[in-house]
Amino acid sequence: MRLLHLKVTLPLSILGLLLAGCIGGSEGNEGQGGQAGGQQGNTLQRVQDRGTLNCGINDAVPGFGVVTPQGEYEGFDIDYCRAVAAAVLGDPNAVEFKPVTTEQRFTALQSGEIDVLIRNTTWTAERDGAEGATFLHTTFYDGQGMMVPADSDYRRLEDMDGTTICVLSGTTTELNLATAFRARNLEHEPLSFEDNETLQQAFQQGRCDGWTSDKSQLAGVRSSWPDNQGGPDALRILDEEFSKEPLGPVVRDGDSPWAQAIDWTVIATIQAEEFGITSENVEQMKGDQNEEIRRLLGEENFDSGLGLPDDFAVQVIQAVGNYGEIYDRNVGADSPLGLERGLNDLYTNGGLHYAPPYR
Amino acid sequence: MTSIRVDTLEPLPGREEPPRRHVPPGRWLRENLFSTWYNSVLTVLFAALLGLLLYRVGRFVFVDGRWEIIERNLRLLLVFRFPDDALWRLWTAMYVLAGTFGLAAGAAATVRRAEVAAGRARPIGGRFLPLRRVAPVVVLAAVLLWLAGSVGATLLVAGAAAVAVLGRLAGTLLPRRYAKWTAVLALVGLAAAFGIVIGLGGVSPRTWGGLLLTIYLAIGGIAISFPLGVLLALGRRSSLPAVRVVCVTYIEIIRGVPLITVLFVGYLIIGFTLPPGTPTPSVVTRAMIGIILFTAAYVAEIVRGGLQSVPRGQYEAAQALGLSPVKTTWLIVLPQALRAVIPAMVGQFISLFKDTSLVFIIGLTELLGVADLITKQREFTAQGLIFETLLFVSLLYWVGSYSMSRESQRLERRLGVGER
Amino acid sequence: MLRVVFQLVFLVLVVGVVLYLYSNVLRNLDRLGIGTSFGFLDESAGFSIANSDFDPSANLFAAILVGVQNTAIVSFAGIALATVIGVIVGVARLSTNWLVRRTAAGYVETLRNVPVLIIILFWYLAVILQLPPIQRAVDWGWLVLSNRGLVVVWLERTGDLAVFLAVLGAGAVLAAAVSVWRTRRFDATGQPHRRLLWAAGVLVAAVVLGFFAGGRPFGLSLPERGELGTEHGFLLSPEYGAILIGLTLYTSSHIAEIVRGSILAVPRGQTEAANALGLSPFARLRYVVLPQATRIMIPPLANQYLNLVKNSSLGVAIAYPEVTRVIRIAIGQQAPAPQSVLVLMLVYLCFSLGISLVTNLVNRRLALRER
Repeated sequence: MRLLHLKVTLPLSILGLLLAGCIGGSEGNEGQGGQAGGQQGNTLQRVQDRGTLNCGINDAVPGFGVVTPQGEYEGFDIDYCRAVAAAVLGDPNAVEFKPVTTEQRFTALQSGEIDVLIRNTTWTAERDGAEGATFLHTTFYDGQGMMVPADSDYRRLEDMDGTTICVLSGTTTELNLATAFRARNLEHEPLSFEDNETLQQAFQQGRCDGWTSDKSQLAGVRSSWPDNQGGPDALRILDEEFSKEPLGPVVRDGDSPWAQAIDWTVIATIQAEEFGITSENVEQMKGDQNEEIRRLLGEENFDSGLGLPDDFAVQVIQAVGNYGEIYDRNVGADSPLGLERGLNDLYTNGGLHYAPPYR
Repeated sequence: MTSIRVDTLEPLPGREEPPRRHVPPGRWLRENLFSTWYNSVLTVLFAALLGLLLYRVGRFVFVDGRWEIIERNLRLLLVFRFPDDALWRLWTAMYVLAGTFGLAAGAAATVRRAEVAAGRARPIGGRFLPLRRVAPVVVLAAVLLWLAGSVGATLLVAGAAAVAVLGRLAGTLLPRRYAKWTAVLALVGLAAAFGIVIGLGGVSPRTWGGLLLTIYLAIGGIAISFPLGVLLALGRRSSLPAVRVVCVTYIEIIRGVPLITVLFVGYLIIGFTLPPGTPTPSVVTRAMIGIILFTAAYVAEIVRGGLQSVPRGQYEAAQALGLSPVKTTWLIVLPQALRAVIPAMVGQFISLFKDTSLVFIIGLTELLGVADLITKQREFTAQGLIFETLLFVSLLYWVGSYSMSRESQRLERRLGVGER
Repeated sequence: MLRVVFQLVFLVLVVGVVLYLYSNVLRNLDRLGIGTSFGFLDESAGFSIANSDFDPSANLFAAILVGVQNTAIVSFAGIALATVIGVIVGVARLSTNWLVRRTAAGYVETLRNVPVLIIILFWYLAVILQLPPIQRAVDWGWLVLSNRGLVVVWLERTGDLAVFLAVLGAGAVLAAAVSVWRTRRFDATGQPHRRLLWAAGVLVAAVVLGFFAGGRPFGLSLPERGELGTEHGFLLSPEYGAILIGLTLYTSSHIAEIVRGSILAVPRGQTEAANALGLSPFARLRYVVLPQATRIMIPPLANQYLNLVKNSSLGVAIAYPEVTRVIRIAIGQQAPAPQSVLVLMLVYLCFSLGISLVTNLVNRRLALRER
């Protein structure tokens, strides 16, 4: 048939054109993809003009960022995205969550695709220096630890010579593991997995003797350990912590107003906990006798020059609560992870969270 | 990642088929299972293995499996975070697809019957053929609806099935003249379905996920890479050395690297290739560009195979008629070549359908990505539910790939004997 | 003339577009302060690699080489196994036994319609990890099987190998000579040549002779099971096993279809002629059908081999340290992502070109000489 090729090429071309049009159209509507250039400065202004915050997150870390069956994001890092949106836009829901992978995160930030990266990223010198990124106030102090079966003889890392260790790959975990074992002159065999679920099966079946990851993750796994495997008591987390992992928001270099806005959003949550301001009592606290509390809540005539609305702290606290509330809800006592506060307590309780004064 | 499937090698049915015999069960067993001693050994061995496998799988599916995670997350798996108030668009698109595909199938059946009547084609199939063709899809739909446990969804799906059946019946009534354009009809339906979901204030693909994203990337990838692939294939067979070298270089480089790396380069580099200041396309678009660049090389090779299958005599005849090279290609060679490559293109599409699972590497959550992501949820974390989610996702992939590969084999047999 | 002009214009266009994009990339990278050097390959890697002697203080380039080696090992083993299984299943699909035929069809249709990643994960999680842990390993002295791997008895060097290798080399030359002699004799007299048997016999004799003449230069290395793993012997790690099985099964299902198609494409007259000559079913397959089918199946097989190598990158999911895994670990700690991925692409490109080269040579040798 002479027309047969038309029957094939024509419709396929139509479909191709239509789909190409769809893509083009959707990009057009979008109009808020990042800027290839990643303009220097004034991210704050651009976020406010756009009306939404592009927040780079991880969508598969229990307690820090997950998707609920209803399709909502939830978690510790997610709450900080919402807090930033509440502070600069007055609306905790004006966030566009952008899941990014380990390899992508800094490129996404540099290219302007995301405004801020809140994705369990450890603050290190090389990243701060070489990746064109600036690390802000730490929201979570973590450290790499080791988990072993409770019925094993391993009490310290020194007992673990010649063992096979399961590693959750991604950041500096392999490096820390190798360093820790070499420093103690021990041998080990690392098995580095891409995904917790696969790793957990390997660990459960005794493929490896230890499981190393951030302690918050290990504690989370331990507290959710299935009953048919002996429940949480079947596992032991060693006391040693062989790395420091301060996790916090990251922004592009050379944009101080934006960095300050996010810094003070984080600080406000910590300060609020110190003052005892919660999402429940924030309205009452506005009339508190303490001048510092009133200043934080924007009741005093005070201009910090940060470029944030006067009532940004109220917005943040109403949206996500103070630091303690965020912690407990996502990773602390009220969550399946059930983490202790530990280093993440206020300095008044022996922790590391210390808010610079708001004045 | 991607492979050219060889459904194409199915031979034409032999000219004379033996008359159908009715064999009593006992004799059938003897002839087919226990004809020699080693056949008997093989039979027993295979029966035992199969029995064991079925028992283990059955036990897991019906007894041990904890399917709550799938029930609760069914929506995420299928459409991910597709907004509630736009769900009607998906349903409408489904009805459009059911209608047009039903109509197309009906019209195709008419054409076919006419050919059989004219003695130009031979009937294929056997008893319960239509039932066997749709069985996997029906089973899948039943499983999904059972998991969803929603009356509304069941009614809507039943409605779509009814529309498809009506379309099939209506299609047989179409005059043959129009029936020839059935392929166009199906594809226009497909494009319309996408238009309904995306266009006019719809939902942009950059927020899609789950099975929806998988399908979008697979269909978009194959459709847009097709014209590119045809050009590359023609370029590769061009008599102009410069054109040939460029095309061969492109095809061979792309075919030499895994899709993972192409996606990755696409993700990292596309944003940078634009002049400074232009907005970067969304991640989904960049993934799509990566997939298109990758698939075009494979499509080119498939089309080249088709071009090579056109006998030299055809070129010579065209030249003898005084046709220009462009006209020879467009009117004589391409029509014959493209018809030969349809089944291989379907095979390529199936590969793509499965390989889209790799976009997890650039942070997109398609079907397999969602299967992993839901095991991190509050209620389900650290429960070892990966077996359940993987099994469920495999079922979706399997039904999709298997049905398409069956259809491609049918199509190929038809094209082999069809209008010539 | 027109042809030349057209080609020039085409080239200028292509080069122009590529240069334009490239200059944009450079400008953007420069403005964002992203480095483009490959110096990171010289920095110390800092991580260890499972089942290798890799020293963390060696540079990243060396780590990548270990990954390349692992990719090569799994790819070549996979290609060999997938071919064997593929041919068997392909032939089984044409068996006269109904159950065998249907099982083979089920095997093919199940395996080639799910993503290979899922097959690999299934084998790792549902089969290999379910083997007994090391404390309750299957231990037969010469073989230890647990979910820490399969360890079998192996050879271990105990002395100087020079004499042994010399004798072995001489044996190999002799074996080749014997083979040629048997072939000539066969050509001359028509008696069965059995050249493989003869050559193998000569080789075995050389090995035995060399072993004693060289003063027993190697002995058996028996696996010794400990608390944490097995010493000595030859180890097949569980991750290696899972990815090898997964890739083999998936690829063999595709190869089976190629084999079946190729066999069916051999003209029916050939089979009938073989039957008329009174060949047994096996001899018919071995000497008449398969040799002709091979010619048809080489090009699609080459594609499958390429796919297998590329699919081995899915080892990332189950902790098998192949080259993609190693590079991803590197990216996780300090290596710049764009350059690392370019290195990765280059590695796979080399593999692909190598396989293409070999299969093209084979194809040329097997191609029908048209007379």
